[in-house]
Amino acid sequence: MNTNPVVNQKQKSETGAFPLTNPIAWLTRKNALPHLALIAYLLVTLYPLVWLAISSFKTQREITVDPWGLPSALHWENYAEAWKAAKVSTYFFNSFYISVLTCLVILAVGSLAAFAISRMRFPRASTAVYQLFLLGLVVPGGVLLIPLYRLIQQMHLIDNHLSLILINATFALPVTIFILVAFMKSIPRELEEAAIIDGLGAAGLFFKIILPVTMPALVTVFILNFINTWNEFIMAMLMLSKESLRTLPVGMSVFKDAFQTNYSLLAAAIMFSVVPVTIVYFFLQRKIIEGVTAGSVKG
Amino acid sequence: MNRVMARPVLYILFLLPALSLYIIFMGIPIVESFYYAFFQWDGVTESTFVGLDNFKELFADEVFYKSFANNLYFIAFSTLITLPFVIVISLLLSKIKKMMDFYRTGVFLPTILSTAVVGVIWLFIYHPEVGLLNNLFRSVGLDAFAQNWLSDPKWAMLGVLVANAWQWNGFYIVLILTAILNVPKEINESAEIDGANGWQKLWYITLPLIRPILVVVMLLSVAGSMKALDIVIVMTNGNPFQTTEVMATYMFTKAFREYQYGYGSAVAVVIFLITLIFTWIIQLLAKKGEDYEY
Repeated sequence: MNTNPVVNQKQKSETGAFPLTNPIAWLTRKNALPHLALIAYLLVTLYPLVWLAISSFKTQREITVDPWGLPSALHWENYAEAWKAAKVSTYFFNSFYISVLTCLVILAVGSLAAFAISRMRFPRASTAVYQLFLLGLVVPGGVLLIPLYRLIQQMHLIDNHLSLILINATFALPVTIFILVAFMKSIPRELEEAAIIDGLGAAGLFFKIILPVTMPALVTVFILNFINTWNEFIMAMLMLSKESLRTLPVGMSVFKDAFQTNYSLLAAAIMFSVVPVTIVYFFLQRKIIEGVTAGSVKG
Repeated sequence: MNRVMARPVLYILFLLPALSLYIIFMGIPIVESFYYAFFQWDGVTESTFVGLDNFKELFADEVFYKSFANNLYFIAFSTLITLPFVIVISLLLSKIKKMMDFYRTGVFLPTILSTAVVGVIWLFIYHPEVGLLNNLFRSVGLDAFAQNWLSDPKWAMLGVLVANAWQWNGFYIVLILTAILNVPKEINESAEIDGANGWQKLWYITLPLIRPILVVVMLLSVAGSMKALDIVIVMTNGNPFQTTEVMATYMFTKAFREYQYGYGSAVAVVIFLITLIFTWIIQLLAKKGEDYEY
């Protein structure tokens, strides 16, 4: 049918039928090159974690002598020992309840303020307050360590988890209010007017109408702040001196000094802080990625 | 009807909790930081007003210059090396259709780990005897490359920077990828009709259109570099020989190890001001280039 064999061959290789006659065209067609590059990058990124996971089941000797091999047997006792030696259970619980309480404070305080700013009829005051909160986005938290430490001392909150809850909640306010105000502003006025005709006051409107509608943004804010509080390190290190009060990140940093040479224990302790987060992440990845990047996209 | 939503008492009541937290734990501490910087004070005895002495001392302090230079190194690494790399990965990701979620989930994972944990993980990777990096060199016969990375003044800072990049690359990739995917298909299609090739589309369409997010990423990584603290404290604590000291760790050491709260506050004030200046410059440059779209 086709009288010109050259054209014929060219067409075929472009459709990917003959990878051998024109492998480059085939590669680009199937996106093989991007895939190769991405898989390589993904391996480099994730292999350290896999390697640590494997190491955490090895004996001390296996880690030193056979760094690439698999463990001869699954040495779960590393985990049992790390759990005890690194006091993971205590730290884990501390981190968890501090993060939950911090998030509840942020949600309560932040949603009230966002409601006032976005829905109530004080446009001038609201603009000023909103700008004030946005300013907080550019304040590097570490810069305030010295006055905050002094303040917590004066409030007698050193070695009290309340210090972390209050400070973490405050530093989360700017981004929280930013996200919630943007969301609440998009709620149509009609909804509000209908509720007011039905006899709801501002408080009723907030609890019965606005909060339920804002739920997706509240979830985003919760995830973002939970991860930030869970991971927070420097304030927790500074404000808590008692061992029993430490959070997981502080516990890890202390543990690495105490067990520098016990590699299998150290690997198991690292797994304790990586695995739970990773499991939650794989279940909620879309929501988490959305939450963590939420404040930046329109910043 | 408007009256319900215009009751000043309720308005103030709703704002009060947030504003009080904000003023007590952020507003007043900011003012105090500036105030303390003019005092000599060990946290126990009475503080004495010393005027600009802390700042004079600071600008003659070699370690401070060293730490400032390391912050600049931090910025240079994350904007000149990490950022282009991250853009390339994002562009590759935007080209594929299959498995995009798989890659995105994978590369983002380090971002949700605690910086303290990331620090400990990388201490393990750089470990001179059992570390992944040295094992890698040994198993390909490059034993000479294996060394004590974080104890070597030549390598320590780079070691910290790589660990930091490992944690944040995924975050920036997701931001940039989202922006690329938001570029309307019609623009690329009409460019194709006009005969634009892949490079031209990249250069004249994709990159200009994702400019706003690139500016955001620049701002985030410069601000992040300026306040870098956790990762350095966990990995090297400024060692060896203060080759990894950054301004924030220097502030921390001065205040909480040497109890020079006034001097530490002066460092904090300088960090704050330099960060403001840098972010301001970036925004200015970004605005100057082309019209800003939001």
